[in-house]
Amino acid sequence: MTRIRFSFTRGEALKHISHLDMMRLIQRALRRSGLPLVYSEGYNPHLRFNLALPLPVNVTASEEYGEVILSDSVTPDQFMVAFGEQLPAGLDLTGAWIEDDYSAPALPSTVGAALYRATLVAEEGCRVDPVHYRQALDNLLSKEEILAPKTKKKKKKKVFVNVKPYIYEAYFNEPEKERPLELNMLLQTGSRGGVSPFFVIEQLEKELTVECNYKAHWELHRERLYQDQDQFLQPLSEGM
Amino acid sequence: MVLAFPDLYEVGMSNQGLKILYESVNNRPGMLMERAFAPGMDMEELMRAYDQPLFALESGKPLAEFDLIGFSLQYELSYTNVLNMLDLAGIPLYADQRGESDPLVVGGGPCAFNPEPLAPFFDFFVLGESEECLPELLAGLDRLKREAPDRKELLARLSAWEGIYVPSLYQPAYKEKRFSAIERTDSRAPAVISKRLVRDLDRAPYPTAPIVPYLQAIHDRAVVELFRGCSRGCRFCQAGYIFRPVRRRSRDKLVETAKQQIAETGYEELSLASLSSTDYPELEELINELDRSLYGEQVKCNLPSLRLDSYSIKLADRLHRGKRSNLTFAPEAATERLRRVIRKNISEAEIFSALNDAIDAGWQGFKLYFMIGLPTETEEDVEAIVDLCRRLRQYFRHKSSRKIGISVSVSTFVPKAHTPFQWEPQLSLPEVTGRQEILQKGFKKMPGIDLSWHDAETSFLEAVFARGDRLLAPALEKAWRLGCRFDGWSEHFSMPRWRQAFRETGIEPEDYALRRFGYDDLLPWDHLHCGVDKAVLIREHQKAFNIDKPEQGEAQ
Repeated sequence: MTRIRFSFTRGEALKHISHLDMMRLIQRALRRSGLPLVYSEGYNPHLRFNLALPLPVNVTASEEYGEVILSDSVTPDQFMVAFGEQLPAGLDLTGAWIEDDYSAPALPSTVGAALYRATLVAEEGCRVDPVHYRQALDNLLSKEEILAPKTKKKKKKKVFVNVKPYIYEAYFNEPEKERPLELNMLLQTGSRGGVSPFFVIEQLEKELTVECNYKAHWELHRERLYQDQDQFLQPLSEGM
Repeated sequence: MVLAFPDLYEVGMSNQGLKILYESVNNRPGMLMERAFAPGMDMEELMRAYDQPLFALESGKPLAEFDLIGFSLQYELSYTNVLNMLDLAGIPLYADQRGESDPLVVGGGPCAFNPEPLAPFFDFFVLGESEECLPELLAGLDRLKREAPDRKELLARLSAWEGIYVPSLYQPAYKEKRFSAIERTDSRAPAVISKRLVRDLDRAPYPTAPIVPYLQAIHDRAVVELFRGCSRGCRFCQAGYIFRPVRRRSRDKLVETAKQQIAETGYEELSLASLSSTDYPELEELINELDRSLYGEQVKCNLPSLRLDSYSIKLADRLHRGKRSNLTFAPEAATERLRRVIRKNISEAEIFSALNDAIDAGWQGFKLYFMIGLPTETEEDVEAIVDLCRRLRQYFRHKSSRKIGISVSVSTFVPKAHTPFQWEPQLSLPEVTGRQEILQKGFKKMPGIDLSWHDAETSFLEAVFARGDRLLAPALEKAWRLGCRFDGWSEHFSMPRWRQAFRETGIEPEDYALRRFGYDDLLPWDHLHCGVDKAVLIREHQKAFNIDKPEQGEAQ
């Protein structure tokens, strides 16, 4: 058995694909690759395969991770070629390596935080004044609590959760000419709770004090995933 | 060219015909087929707001820039979408308004066997199977375009080709708003158009590496087509008539195609498709060979059309892996008499014994399809549906300690062109509603049986267009202008809008759906030959009402 981990990027061409569609498409690419795949036993055999963290619809990414178990030994190079050529345009394999530690926890359980970059893209002829946005972000972060609705599965009652502690960092890029406004967000994710980058942006826009009639929209990109080790964030890539 | 499918992407990408045509054109050098689908209502709104013309998916090029737009006509209730797509593409709706630089608009598929309600919107139709015809057409169109001085002449020359119907060359006449005659306006056009037919399926184009959609299509799997046509000859079934005769793919070809498709797509499911798949000779051997050649690939095979007999159950069981949930069957009618009228020849004893086998094999429940409003049906026949299910339920209770779920799905009979029931009226709306109430009342007292039924008005509209003529075209346009789209989708269907469209264009829809045609009446589709002579249809029609005489043999 070989446990292979791989990293990949997602570009504009595939950013509208949902997580389930991504899972299906990667599994089908693996099935086409001719690699020696391992299926679970039982009635509905499925691939021993994982993605580190679901990528939301409309978000591109530069460093995502997945892992798959193979029955025979395969070198990372062989894997890169066989799997890489089955991936559609918009998904690029950037690395593959063997995880020797067989007891290493499954990828999804290792992710603790993610870094997002949201770019404010204004339509032609429309100028965005960054000052309003910087002010709005200050307002938002100075709040004691930021409540997010959460629907519990069993009870249909709406519950509110304070997601303020999940926003580890949020800051705009330094003003630069000809460079659009970029909001960087380091957000907690995973089983201990998390907050969606879309929610943070939504809250930010609510804090805009000036009526902004900008024709502008946000484009989201996930830069990096982090693992949470003893309350110390480390890029996922470093542990691998 | 563009193949335009007048429904959502996830519906269109489930259609095997589309994939076959895509292959047949794109595997030929110098030819190109792209796809276009009907945008959802929200998307349409945005497209109109941003002046975004309808485009082909592959290149993003507007439809209007292509030579040929081919509409796949699977279902009468997609007609408003056809008009909407033409409009979104900026192509004039009516064929006679299109100029030399506009694309030619062609229609094909089952509904092309009675395309009269759509006739003014189309330049021509392909009658029958298009996978050989389309590449020929694209190859020949180039030359025709050079030689013919204008569009009109081009169409006139095209009309002489086998399977091509150019409606503008046929002038219908009406008596008291009823279709009475049709006359050719150009001697090159044939009096009767014969259908295109693929003789040898093994040599016909078939996809080996179909497109795998990112989102989940309704049918998201590899498909091999075992045979085309059906030998059963159910009298209500249009597919059973227009796809005759039965032509099979060889076992070798099927195994080879299945292997290629699985290797090229990574699909985890393979469908052995046909109108009645268990009629494939040596089906067990085929399944064995597929098992051998797909060994280790973790591919689930399935048979989409199960007959209610022990052999089918055995096969379904053989193919099945995992939890045995539900099996689906279509007895169509609940009394033996009525089943003989429609020529769905299974006895009640067979139904019981087949379901008995299925329970023994561990299946958890059944879905049963019935139809109401069939010719000669009485309220007793409808009550018999309730009664049959009650007896099945009792039987299962005695037999098994498990809870056996039964769900019953009831549709309304729609008389279709080119079937022995093409002369028959549809049951009137109040009567259909009355019979649906009988079912609702009957099943109310039966917990564990889940009843669902088709909307009566939707089936009514389907019947209007299934046997319609060209007088319906203005009503169709009106309905589309009033906002009708996706009429087959219950959340979008609006009968009041359709009623208004009929009223404003002076159409009595009842006169289409509820009309009983006579053998002497010329039918609006009589100049289109489906491969079965009218005399045969008449004989079958008569036999339906003389069911005491023994049936002889199978349909050819």
